[in-house]
Amino acid sequence: MRVTEQMRYDGVANNLSQLSSRQAKAAQEAQSGVRVNLPSDDPIAAAQLARLAASQSQVAARRSTISAVRGDAELAESSLQQASDLMAGAKDLAMQAGNGSLGAGERATLARQVKDIRDQLIGIANTKGTSGYLFAGSATETLPFSTSGAFNGNDDAHVVDIGNSTPSAVNASGAKAFTTAGGRDVFGDLDALYNALNSNDTTAIAASLDGIDRSRSQITNAQTAVGITLNKLDASDSVQSAIDLQNSKSISDVGAADPAKAYSTLVQLNNALQQSVTVGKSILDLAAFKQF
Amino acid sequence: MAGLNNLLNVARDALTAQSYGLNVTGQNIANASTPGYVRRVALLETQNLGTQSGGGVRAAGLDRVTNDYIERRENQATGTASAATARDQTLASVEALFNDGAGTGLGSALNDVFASFSALASNPNDTTTRANVLAAAGAFVDRANQTGNALSQMQIDLMQQAQDTISQVNQRAQEIAKLDMQIAQATMQGDDASDLKDQRTQKILNMSGLINTHTFTDGSGNTVVQVAGTTIVDGQHARSLSLDRNADGSLKLLVDQPGGGGSEITQFLTGGKLAGIKDARDKDLFDVSQKLNTLVFDVASAINTQHALGTGSDGGTGRNLFDVGATATNAARDVRVSVDVFDHPDRIAAASNAFSLPGGSDNAVALSKIFDTQIAFGNTKTAASAYGDIIGSIGSTRASSQRDVETQNAILSQVQSMHQSQSGVSLDEEMVNLTKFQNAYQAASKMIGVADQLMQTLLNTVGR
Repeated sequence: MRVTEQMRYDGVANNLSQLSSRQAKAAQEAQSGVRVNLPSDDPIAAAQLARLAASQSQVAARRSTISAVRGDAELAESSLQQASDLMAGAKDLAMQAGNGSLGAGERATLARQVKDIRDQLIGIANTKGTSGYLFAGSATETLPFSTSGAFNGNDDAHVVDIGNSTPSAVNASGAKAFTTAGGRDVFGDLDALYNALNSNDTTAIAASLDGIDRSRSQITNAQTAVGITLNKLDASDSVQSAIDLQNSKSISDVGAADPAKAYSTLVQLNNALQQSVTVGKSILDLAAFKQF
Repeated sequence: MAGLNNLLNVARDALTAQSYGLNVTGQNIANASTPGYVRRVALLETQNLGTQSGGGVRAAGLDRVTNDYIERRENQATGTASAATARDQTLASVEALFNDGAGTGLGSALNDVFASFSALASNPNDTTTRANVLAAAGAFVDRANQTGNALSQMQIDLMQQAQDTISQVNQRAQEIAKLDMQIAQATMQGDDASDLKDQRTQKILNMSGLINTHTFTDGSGNTVVQVAGTTIVDGQHARSLSLDRNADGSLKLLVDQPGGGGSEITQFLTGGKLAGIKDARDKDLFDVSQKLNTLVFDVASAINTQHALGTGSDGGTGRNLFDVGATATNAARDVRVSVDVFDHPDRIAAASNAFSLPGGSDNAVALSKIFDTQIAFGNTKTAASAYGDIIGSIGSTRASSQRDVETQNAILSQVQSMHQSQSGVSLDEEMVNLTKFQNAYQAASKMIGVADQLMQTLLNTVGR
């Protein structure tokens, strides 16, 4: 084959340009530690990375939801604990009042203590969290219990997406904890005790004991329900965190460069490029006219 | 019988012929790197002196070492390689647009919209989470608009590029016709037309890079140039091409008819930059735009439907979150945050009905659940999956186009190498020729010296 000058130049130039472009790509990969810099570097991986990024975003959103609603749920649980303790106190007072040696004056004192408990309980039932009144259902901006004990809220659930197939309710039901929706009107029961004490009616006092007991267990049930919700939040959080970990691992598996391989490829191409320059130089030096 | 004078004549002719050879060699060396230069070979032949043998040498002219077959193959390979390169350039820009690391980041904006619904559900009565929904929707709309606009702009730019390419083709055609005329004149006057032919070959090669070009020589020896299957230069006459748009916006290539008007030759456009531009514009960009528009339309519509079912904290219902047309056409470019809710965070419908205000979050959860629902591409894909599909298809289109460019360039360099091997200047060869002609020239000079000496000897002998 007849070899002309232009062929020599073109050959050297083509080889050098191909090698440099491969070397530049290898350098980028080794430097950035990322294998898929552009969709065309690996189309399947790029599509997968886009989906993984979406999943990561959903996981992050769920985890932030969990941490956002967790505070209020914990506050509801401790509030209901206090409420249950107060009811226990009310029961103690009722037991004391059953003692036949007490007089009307002493029972009136006990009645004032029961009223204190009732007022405290209304305060607890009106506890406000980060998203409004805890026990008001969806009427989060309306004071749920008036001083008379009337309920102004509702029994709507506050639902969020924490990764379960159906939306999960995360609020404590004030209606079920404190009103007849749960079986007993807690404030009504306390009022009955208070009235019985004030009127020094031992039969009525004895009769109110059962109501106080039932009210207390109603509050405890509500507390248990919140506890279950908290467990559910914890369980979901660990599931989401596992997904998060798995996604991060997949993202790194799919998109990250293997540092050892990337570096050795780079070194290899650097050497090849250097050799190609040397060889090219000697090819171009091979001109007959230099010998004449 | 040849005399001494004849020897002098032979030597004189030899000097002329060898210096012609030196000239041709010099020309080859001077043009060793001139694009399109075809090496010349000095044609020397023996000169007959009547019936007598022992004649001298004469320069009969030049041979231009070409091969029509290889030239045609080079034209074709140039066309295919330019088409692949032109297409790849556009695909590179498209790819950059959808590169979530550095591009417009449509994917993450889409994810953020759903994340904002999730956050809204956790605190539906909070103005900040409501404002965040609007902000995320706004960011998504911005990204979609930017991407849609960038794609439309690319289509406009490609149309402009196609126009420029057509004017270049038309200009080349004029130049080739003019060169044909000059070549005909030169040949008629007995001049050497090699330089003009080099120029014509180069122009045709140049034209092959713009549009698929084929040449042949007709019965009367004229070079006929055809582009996209249509004769554009015939002898000394050139016709011109023009561009138009079909109803669907795709490019239409026309060749002007002598009587006015044009006939369509789009289907014969198979190579050159113009073919690459058309492919990129009418196929690749069209596909990407369509998928993007469909995705944006599907997402916006699904969110709108759910949002309209819910109730804002102001008690209003039936509102859309996005303003999007009735069909997917241009949805990416034209989608907006709905005027129903724009600047009104309280109108974001987190609750499913007015009774559950202000703490109801059912609708916010339903909105965030759209993320997991197959709402895109005819309800076959989730939004994220559909976006992944778009990324994947852009990536594989670009990857295959890159491979195409590499392959076509390799074929082209192969053909160029063949062409060079045939028609290129080899300095080694020219150095040998230089020495050859130089030696022959020196020997011819010597011959004059010898003839002169012989003559002197003869004169001295005879004159004594």
